[in-house]
Amino acid sequence: MLKVRNLSKVFRKGSMEVSVLDDITLSVSEGEYVAIMAPSGMGKSTFLNILGCLDRPTSGTYLLDGVPVQDMNDDELSHIRNKKIGFVFQSFHLLPMMTAWENVTLPLIYSDSDVDMKSKAIEVLQSVGLGDRVDHVPGELSGGQHQRVAIARALVNDPRIILADEPTGNLDSRSSDEVMRIFRELHSSGRTLVVVTHDPEVAREADRLIEMKDGRILADRSTSAFREGAAG
Amino acid sequence: MRVLRIARTALVTLAAHKTRSLLMMLGVIIGVATQNIVFSAVLGARATVMQGVEKFGLDSLMIMAGAGRRPGVIQAEPVTLRVGDAEAMAAEIPNVKHVCPQIMRREVPVKRGNKSSYSVVVAAPAIWSSVWSTEVEEGRFLEDEDVSRRARVAVIGKTIASDLFDGEDPIGKKINLASNIFEVTGILESRGTSVTGIDMDSRIVIPLTTGQKRVFNQEHVRAIKVAVRDASIMGQTVEDIRSLLRERHHLPRGAEDDFTIVTPTKVIAMAMKLSSTFALFLVLVSGVSLTVGGIVLANIMFIAVHERKREIGLRRAIGARKKDILFQFLLEALCVAFLGGIIGLGLGMAGIYILKTVSKIPAFLMWQPVALALSSALVVGLLSGYLPARRAANIDPSDALR
Repeated sequence: MLKVRNLSKVFRKGSMEVSVLDDITLSVSEGEYVAIMAPSGMGKSTFLNILGCLDRPTSGTYLLDGVPVQDMNDDELSHIRNKKIGFVFQSFHLLPMMTAWENVTLPLIYSDSDVDMKSKAIEVLQSVGLGDRVDHVPGELSGGQHQRVAIARALVNDPRIILADEPTGNLDSRSSDEVMRIFRELHSSGRTLVVVTHDPEVAREADRLIEMKDGRILADRSTSAFREGAAG
Repeated sequence: MRVLRIARTALVTLAAHKTRSLLMMLGVIIGVATQNIVFSAVLGARATVMQGVEKFGLDSLMIMAGAGRRPGVIQAEPVTLRVGDAEAMAAEIPNVKHVCPQIMRREVPVKRGNKSSYSVVVAAPAIWSSVWSTEVEEGRFLEDEDVSRRARVAVIGKTIASDLFDGEDPIGKKINLASNIFEVTGILESRGTSVTGIDMDSRIVIPLTTGQKRVFNQEHVRAIKVAVRDASIMGQTVEDIRSLLRERHHLPRGAEDDFTIVTPTKVIAMAMKLSSTFALFLVLVSGVSLTVGGIVLANIMFIAVHERKREIGLRRAIGARKKDILFQFLLEALCVAFLGGIIGLGLGMAGIYILKTVSKIPAFLMWQPVALALSSALVVGLLSGYLPARRAANIDPSDALR
């Protein structure tokens, strides 16, 4: 599903060049649940952004569903982000002036389908257990509820791939458990999940654990737990 | 429709940030209001000029004694234009219908008992009333017999009537004009203030001969108004008059005319040229405040784009294209500017209404200022929205979400 070959990313700061990702080759199959662990600031967010078509590699190729993504223009990448990918962020990125359901409808604005946005949003909010919070604005919700609204937003266009960047980084352990439970459900429904984290508890949930350091892959192994949902 | 959903997003954002939206609007409101007032006043002034010219009559022309006035050159009063010239025109040029030779003098003191005033004295034949299409409202106008008898009779304007008679009926009463006693025979209908600022109701019309022999002691006249039969051959008539007058005044070939012929088309052309140059200037000056409004709008937009970096990054992450972001921000600017334009227009109209009631500035409600206000508001919105919107669209989403 996701195939990355010889991927590198170099940032330029004045005359200095900082290599963030260095010759990464990796493939993630449909339905896999992958955790990426790395010390902070070691390029894992950049890697996730490239996987999410939000950033471009400096060199290397990236096939998404067999389609080379590195040559696509901005409109095509936007379309892919809208249709195929759901992002979950550490700091949620909910718009504070909007209610939960309005936040969830945001991806529908940019999709070309003409579903009834409100009922679709409420339906997804119910599926993450927030059916009674649809009309609340973020200021009236707890941290865990924030992240569940954000997950509902990521799911509203029914993407096949969920990319999560430290999804539990700002949450207490009870809320983290709730988020992890939702991720397990998404996994068992056949979605592909890539979760960047530095929390071993979160990483342990995945089928596969990739450890990165200094922009390279150190280790790539299967974890023993929860392998029954993985499809090759 | 994606476009409609994004448009709705823009409106919701504006509604959610009312203070910011109002601040963005403020400059446009003031700019449009100013422009609206100025433009309306200018158009009003122009319409007044046109009305004045129409009152003068499109089938009329005026021969003034002396060559046209030149700046810095002091002219003695020309004495060559005579009643005989008027009679000759009427007799020899077929297209001339009526001629009205007249003497005019401003600031002539007029008294009655202990009351006094200053008047514009016009000495003219009986035909003056129809040539200038000015009727008497009470009493009678001058008659041919008054002129042939050099009668001491006068028809007075409303201002003189109220200054000297204070509510009494002036008809048949005596007034003292330039040391002559005149009997008031009629009161002229009100004509207000002329384009050149003369109170038309301070006129006193006396028989031409009386003016010549008893008041001003002169044979020459100041002007001859001519009514023509066919206005379409005005140009030819002007030439006929010119050559007749040159011949009568014995002007050698190459010498300058000692009279000036003013036609309504000339007056209109002059008034239009003057007022459109002036109008352009005023509208441009008032455009400065609109420009400032646009700069304010652009600045607040830039700040808003910076503040909303995360929102923009998020929208990009969930599928907004660059052009979607551009459209959203441009539409926000356009809506703010357009709404500001409408409010400014309302304020401007209120201002015009106040101007009209407290002063004599002629300003009318016309469609051109409305169209100008709304279109310039849109232009301002487009111009000051574009750069911030483009900056918003070009924000790097991965950077904005960090």
